[in-house]
Amino acid sequence: MKKVISLVLALAVLAMSAVAFASTPVAATELEYKGDLVLMHFSTSEESEGNGGSDGFRTTIAAWKEAHPDINLTENVLANAEYKTQVATLAAADNLPDVFLLQGMNTIAWANQGLVMDMTDIISASPYYADYNTAYFTPFTTPDGKIYGLPVLTGGTCTIVIYDKAMWAEKGYDAFPSTWAEVEEAAEKFSADGIDTIAFGNGGQWQLNSDFVSTLGNRYTGPEWFASLIANTGAKFTDEAFVKCLTETQRLFKDTKIFNADFNAVTNEDAREYFISGDAAAFIGGNWDWSYITAVLKESNEEKYNNMGIAVLPQPADADKYPNSQNIGLGYAMAINPKVAEDPAKLAAAIDLCYELTGPAFSSYVAENYALGGLTNAGDVDLSKFDQQTQDFYNWSYVDTDTCEIYDSYLDSAIWSVLNTEMQAMLNGEIDPETVAADTQAKYDEIYNS
Amino acid sequence: MQKKAEITAVRQTSPVGKAVGTVLINLVLWVFSLSCIFPLVWMLYSSFKEKRVFNADIIGLPKVWDPVNYVKILSNKDYHLWQSMWNSLRTTGLSIIMIVLFSFIVGYILARIRFKLNRPLYVMFLMGMLIPIHSLLVPIYVVFKNVNLLDKWYTLLFPYVSFGLPMGIFLTEGYVKGIPVALEEAASIDGAAFSRTLWTIIFPLCRPILVTIAIIQIFGCWNEFSFALVLMNDVNLQTVPLALTQFKGQFASDYPKQMAAMLITMAPIVIMYFAFNGQIIKGMVAGAVKG
Amino acid sequence: MLDSIRPKKSTIYLYLLIPVALFIFTVFMPLVAALFYSFFEWKSGPVKTFNGITNYKLLFADTTFWASFGHNLYLVLACIIGQIGIAFVLVLFANSRLAKCQTIHRTFGFFPSTISAVCIGMIWTMIYHNKYGILNWFIINVLGRPDLAQVWLNDSAHVMLYVSIPLIWQYIGYYMVIMFSAIAGIDKSIFESAEIDGANGFQTAIHITLPLIRNTMLVCLTLCIAGNMKAFDNIYTMTRGGPGTASMVMAMYGYKVSFEQTNLGYGSTISVAIFVLSLAVIGGSQALVKRATRGLEA
Repeated sequence: MKKVISLVLALAVLAMSAVAFASTPVAATELEYKGDLVLMHFSTSEESEGNGGSDGFRTTIAAWKEAHPDINLTENVLANAEYKTQVATLAAADNLPDVFLLQGMNTIAWANQGLVMDMTDIISASPYYADYNTAYFTPFTTPDGKIYGLPVLTGGTCTIVIYDKAMWAEKGYDAFPSTWAEVEEAAEKFSADGIDTIAFGNGGQWQLNSDFVSTLGNRYTGPEWFASLIANTGAKFTDEAFVKCLTETQRLFKDTKIFNADFNAVTNEDAREYFISGDAAAFIGGNWDWSYITAVLKESNEEKYNNMGIAVLPQPADADKYPNSQNIGLGYAMAINPKVAEDPAKLAAAIDLCYELTGPAFSSYVAENYALGGLTNAGDVDLSKFDQQTQDFYNWSYVDTDTCEIYDSYLDSAIWSVLNTEMQAMLNGEIDPETVAADTQAKYDEIYNS
Repeated sequence: MQKKAEITAVRQTSPVGKAVGTVLINLVLWVFSLSCIFPLVWMLYSSFKEKRVFNADIIGLPKVWDPVNYVKILSNKDYHLWQSMWNSLRTTGLSIIMIVLFSFIVGYILARIRFKLNRPLYVMFLMGMLIPIHSLLVPIYVVFKNVNLLDKWYTLLFPYVSFGLPMGIFLTEGYVKGIPVALEEAASIDGAAFSRTLWTIIFPLCRPILVTIAIIQIFGCWNEFSFALVLMNDVNLQTVPLALTQFKGQFASDYPKQMAAMLITMAPIVIMYFAFNGQIIKGMVAGAVKG
Repeated sequence: MLDSIRPKKSTIYLYLLIPVALFIFTVFMPLVAALFYSFFEWKSGPVKTFNGITNYKLLFADTTFWASFGHNLYLVLACIIGQIGIAFVLVLFANSRLAKCQTIHRTFGFFPSTISAVCIGMIWTMIYHNKYGILNWFIINVLGRPDLAQVWLNDSAHVMLYVSIPLIWQYIGYYMVIMFSAIAGIDKSIFESAEIDGANGFQTAIHITLPLIRNTMLVCLTLCIAGNMKAFDNIYTMTRGGPGTASMVMAMYGYKVSFEQTNLGYGSTISVAIFVLSLAVIGGSQALVKRATRGLEA
């Protein structure tokens, strides 16, 4: 009986909390449009638990709906993986919804097909234009300079080293080593205790690209190389610098004791549990992993939480560029179906929705509640109410490090599919880096140079 | 009487062999059966764990039996569980009725009636089993879009019935071929019309295989994901497996909560399966035909 | 085939009209559409460019695809032996007079095939898990052979075996259900007389049960081949085709090409190829079975 009562009570509390959720003020622009507007996105309520960007996105949508009661905004929400499949199908059949989230790497292909609206003028006419961090627009910009979306959600790093200061201090390191040579030395000491030095999970095949090579590559090639790849002005995957990056990656995973033996079979979600449980002294992943680990440790192991440190990827011995860099960006942008333009009133409503979901209402909400940043600068974020870990993360992400691009926000997805698949085999020593580079370049040539 | 005695005699010939056989057979069966039921048990107790407890120890029993996952699911209106449950029930129910009916008709005709299109039809249905759905999602979507069949409450009946048919037809066909023709011949000599023979004599005879088909297909339809994902964009028409994806995050999965959701949604058919288990098995066995 | 029943042609076609029409529309229209698209360069969106048989040329030279086809054949063989073979043995066991609790076995065995592939995949990922997995735990603590413990799903040479085991286990019950109903259709007195004649369990199974449910076994075989030529879900959850492409199967490759690489023209080509190859494999297997059992029928 007690159980039942507690269940009923819990239900009641949840029901009430659902009504009294936090809100954020959107600009109540006059919109003459009355009718349906369809928005497709992947911020499920599951996603928004603990993910500041999703929470802010959903909160801003709710506020916008309230400000525009005459517009029937229909949300089609799917989890991210399913969202990608469905949106690809809809794009193929030229049947995209009014407003949707465009992935950086699809921009050029979809723009060429006329699937997304050119928003260059809309963006420069935005009331918040002055506060935009314009660097975030690049993945959604075509070579001719047109912009096809308003970058959305929060900017977060994809390559961060999270380590346990106490464990490393015990082995004689005051901070996380800045070179891989030192990490290798440390690995000898850790493995003697049966501890993995760094936990990593590449089971989904995308992790090595987004959370490792994308940053490590910048240390060898510098940003000009990738910029040239995007613009197709001569850089190649087979260039010596990038092959050196692949070779070093293969060596680190295959020939050293640094990583957990099952790095190719587990996902980042499994690997970070190794760090949480103390089976690994450090972990490499993205900002989402940082959110998860901090949330878990704060609740379950306060001592370890306070010992958490963050660092950039160590520098390889044969790399000489940007040792303090990490990759950060916004992977998705609010995009509009060109067909919406047939009804100017509806278009105005869609544009207003895009402005608000990426504007100050969103930015100030995520800044105040999560110390995260988005497209629009929310002004000076008052960090004092956050604890040390959150402040450190904010400063590390947005202030103290050099930034570089997230590879798979750009270029055709087919190229990354080839690279990611082959790199997984490469880590097992089944293909050599030269072949991986050559096959990736072949795909690149097939798409851009044929 | 004499027969019985003989059987007993045979059975008594090797008591040691029989004992060993009994142990072996039952051991194998139990190992298999327990391995089969383990996932359900595991899901059941894991769904009472909190996410972090589960991630730290995936196999252990929960120390605290916490119904929080169930509370969260049932209280969140975004999950629109009841709406999706109703959609699934309607789609599955209608699909099963049609699959069983059509499988019986087509299966019987292919097994018994000689006509020009008999083998071509058989091959055609066979081909239906070879369609790689996952890589054909886009063409399927385009075809359905062109005839304006997307986002209707009956949309999913098309693929579910069509892709369920081949298996049903083959099973019925194989089964009918095993039934002696004497019964139908007798009926036709009595002058019974084809339709009457079909429904009053053959249909009851085929009950075991039809029940089997229904059972296999119920779970198939209920769990189907790819068609539901691609053909239904309207949230109000989503079936249960699709609504379930609301429990998945982009970078983090709350497995215990997903399991709770899976159990809630599986519950109707699983309970039905166990509750009617006796009848189902009886139905599968009842049709034994004397040859 | 029955000759004494000769209903009017119109009656038959009337009965067949709805199911056949429905089937052709849903099943063949998309396939025909895919065949059409397979002659185009189509990267999503409304623009398609006719490129003749370029996609097919690409396909013939595509080593990943042919390796995937090989993996499908491996799956087919493993599952015919594993699923149908084991299911047949278990059905005989469960039907044996020596078996206790027959109802429980019938009920439980079917269960795994009712659970979604995601969940099955999770369970087996856990069993194979390097650190927390049951398999490595057993090898280290029970067998005392830590040298044999390994990262199972990262072993390119044997990963196909490791992903087939869950698949086999999951569908044994499915075939058991089908065989139960087929055996239930056999007259019990046949078994009784066999027993009187002194036939042991093995002889009864091979010489009496098997021939009597031959048609159903053939259907099982067809279902098994068809199912494994387009296998997708379980492997996708467990390895995504990895490491590299070591456990890639055709349907997953088609899916990856269509959605990850958004190359719908080539994805359609792969779909068509899967269909044609599956048809060839099924046709071949049926010819083989016919030849092998010709003696039995006589």
